[in-house]
Amino acid sequence: MLKKYQQEHEARYTPRLVMEEASRCLLCLDAPCSSSCPAGTDPAKFIRSVRFKNVKGAAETVRINNLLGAICARVCPTERYCQAGCSRSGIDKPIEIGRIQRYITDFEADLDMDILEAKEGNGKKVAVIGSGPAGLTAAGELALLGYEVTIYEKEAKAGGYLRYGIPEYRLPNEVVDKEIERIVKLGVDIVLNTKVGEDVTLEELKKEYAAVVLAVGYSKGKMLPMFEGNRKVVLAVDFLKKVKDRKGNVKVPNNVLVIGGGDVAMDVVTTLKMLGAEQVTDVVYETFAEFKASKKELEGAQKEGVSIIDGYVPVSTARGGIVKFKHRYINSELKIKADLIVLAVGQVADLEKLPVELEKGEVKASGNHMGANVFFAGDIGHGEKTVVYGVKLGKEVAKAVDAYLGGK
Amino acid sequence: MVRKDLSITFMGVKFPNPFCLSSSPVGNCYEMCAKAYDSGWGGVVFKTIGPKHYFIDEVSPRFDALTKENEPFVGFKNMEQIAEHPLEENLADLRKLKKNYPNKVLIASIMGSNEEDWETLARLVTEAGADMIELNFSCPQMTSHAMGSDVGSNPELCYKYCQAVRRGTHLPFMAKMTPNITDMCDPAIASIRGGANGISAINTIKSIINVDLDKKIGLPIVDGKSSISGYSGKAVKPVALRFIQQMRTREELKDVELSGIGGIETWEDAAEFILLGCKNLQVTTGIMQYGYRIVEDMCNGLEHYMEEQGVDHLEDLVGLANKNIIPAEELDRDYIVYPEIDNDKCVGCGRCVISCFDGAHQAMEWHEENRRPTCNHDKCVGCLLCGLVCPVGAIKPGERVLKPGRKAKNLKKMVLQTTMEKL
Repeated sequence: MLKKYQQEHEARYTPRLVMEEASRCLLCLDAPCSSSCPAGTDPAKFIRSVRFKNVKGAAETVRINNLLGAICARVCPTERYCQAGCSRSGIDKPIEIGRIQRYITDFEADLDMDILEAKEGNGKKVAVIGSGPAGLTAAGELALLGYEVTIYEKEAKAGGYLRYGIPEYRLPNEVVDKEIERIVKLGVDIVLNTKVGEDVTLEELKKEYAAVVLAVGYSKGKMLPMFEGNRKVVLAVDFLKKVKDRKGNVKVPNNVLVIGGGDVAMDVVTTLKMLGAEQVTDVVYETFAEFKASKKELEGAQKEGVSIIDGYVPVSTARGGIVKFKHRYINSELKIKADLIVLAVGQVADLEKLPVELEKGEVKASGNHMGANVFFAGDIGHGEKTVVYGVKLGKEVAKAVDAYLGGK
Repeated sequence: MVRKDLSITFMGVKFPNPFCLSSSPVGNCYEMCAKAYDSGWGGVVFKTIGPKHYFIDEVSPRFDALTKENEPFVGFKNMEQIAEHPLEENLADLRKLKKNYPNKVLIASIMGSNEEDWETLARLVTEAGADMIELNFSCPQMTSHAMGSDVGSNPELCYKYCQAVRRGTHLPFMAKMTPNITDMCDPAIASIRGGANGISAINTIKSIINVDLDKKIGLPIVDGKSSISGYSGKAVKPVALRFIQQMRTREELKDVELSGIGGIETWEDAAEFILLGCKNLQVTTGIMQYGYRIVEDMCNGLEHYMEEQGVDHLEDLVGLANKNIIPAEELDRDYIVYPEIDNDKCVGCGRCVISCFDGAHQAMEWHEENRRPTCNHDKCVGCLLCGLVCPVGAIKPGERVLKPGRKAKNLKKMVLQTTMEKL
């Protein structure tokens, strides 16, 4: 079972299979895939390169457009982005774009291709706070432009949610390491175990650096008042972090209740099953018609044998791990007793020590400039809370910082 | 990022890269050629310009495709002739192209029906600013027998028309050969003697591509009839490569510069033509199916290949394979290579067993209990058909042995094929 958690669950394409999939691509005129990738990874171009036997060229396209190409290939909910408008759907089903991208980036890694080259240094220093998708992307893009970039990361290792959140079977830390290695190679310095606001203040950074990019991300799990102080309750992000940190060497009880229906919840329930929990029950606020998690992750959870109950909202708790639910639309009640309760009801930014004001979880400024020499990106920026959106906002903030600092 | 210089000098003219549109529907007007240049093509052979008196009148429809299983376009049939626009319009397009794209190469393709035509056309396209000329001796679907492939299969006419063109221009020019001939070297030699500076090959192969089984008419159907006309695309690449090799190894032609044409779609196809001696490459069918954009991966893929090969000049790859194509009687016939089966890769389909029995030497044996094949070396002749039909690449060339009674040699030193897999 442990092996199941530790091994990447989606098999890699063989050269033949990737060609078969690339050959399904209609190479269409306006390529909805390329126009709907938030990160601008340009699937139409890299699929065409595979089709015309130029996998190295495909690797260049992915890498130049998306510094986290190997990560996005694995975790992106492609059904919502590039695959959503795929012309091939008019025949049968969309091209498996993520899997093709995974083949390409694996090929790049196998050959140790060194695609990126940073411009000559311009002597200007930029600090990036946080090393999640947005922070890494912003840092890498700025380094490519010639800036001297330092990332401040509160954890012992870089990667943010990529390292501590997404389970190993979907995103091995080895892949995260490799992507970070590429960014470090561009000259980015990463200062670990340093929390801005505690170990160093934002004011100090603002003085020391020509610009500061806040990319702190939603690292804290949300608590619901009725579960406050309940010893049976853990938060999803904390659970996932512990499991990934210990490479799956975590004991889980046999009967676990999970509350939540996003991709994080799917990661939790699937992980629990892989770690040996016999009965995993997931109660979801949304009904299946409104479901938030991506189809792929939902299918993964169902395949593992998770019981998913949709449309129920928790109303009260009782001693001994009992939770009562009510259906949102029909007259129905539910009572579940579990040995462990995992709350996967969303995350928030950990900003208590930083002078930043959020409204509905996002910075109140428009664009990505907070004022003075401070910029922001990632979850606290405007938009969706996905890895690919982090990459998008990271690219955008790098451009904004470059424009602010004179573009040279 | 790989960055290699793809520029190469062909017939004295420097091309930014060797990739050109061939004379065909893909280079029919200014806008098309301009888009091709913008997409990255190094040169354009503008669609063949004919004499003023020759009226072009096309049929509809005029194309058809040969398919195989899931492949929509193995080969392609074309009945279109030469440029249908008026001579003046074509010349104006040439002038405009040269003016707006001075760093790209502009090749004018011409076709006359007599010496006077050839000389006049050569003079006109020279005046219009072409960098070089291609003589179309090879279109197989002309409505006049004084033009097209009937000329290219007649060395005397090739010689005469090349001389006429030489009188009309100082520009370098090449003669485009027809594959509808036993030995292409004869018209090629005649063309060079007549003053041509290079040879391009191949034009399309005379063909009937499909027959409609209900109507009992060849395709495409033009009011109940069809005609023999030119076949092109991936399927003709092997035929083109053979003619290129034969010209390169013919004493009289060995130093003649060649432009390769026939089924080029990928950088790999291009590299094959280069390794067999071509300094220039022309493409049509791939563009008709996929668009000018295919040049991006041709250029980039070729740059990566140069990087892998450790060469900085494309020129250094030209003709490297010619010496490795030798007459059949000179091949080493002393050894056998047995297939090596990778049981982990094998999915147990048994296709190797079927093909070995029905198409080879009944050496591949099937084991029902585990659904896996083994090779009986007593029967195996080492043809390796099994490796070609295997759908997962589980069979590759393995152990080599000398045939009984042959002189011992160091089998390990021999250069052998390493895979049968086709991707």
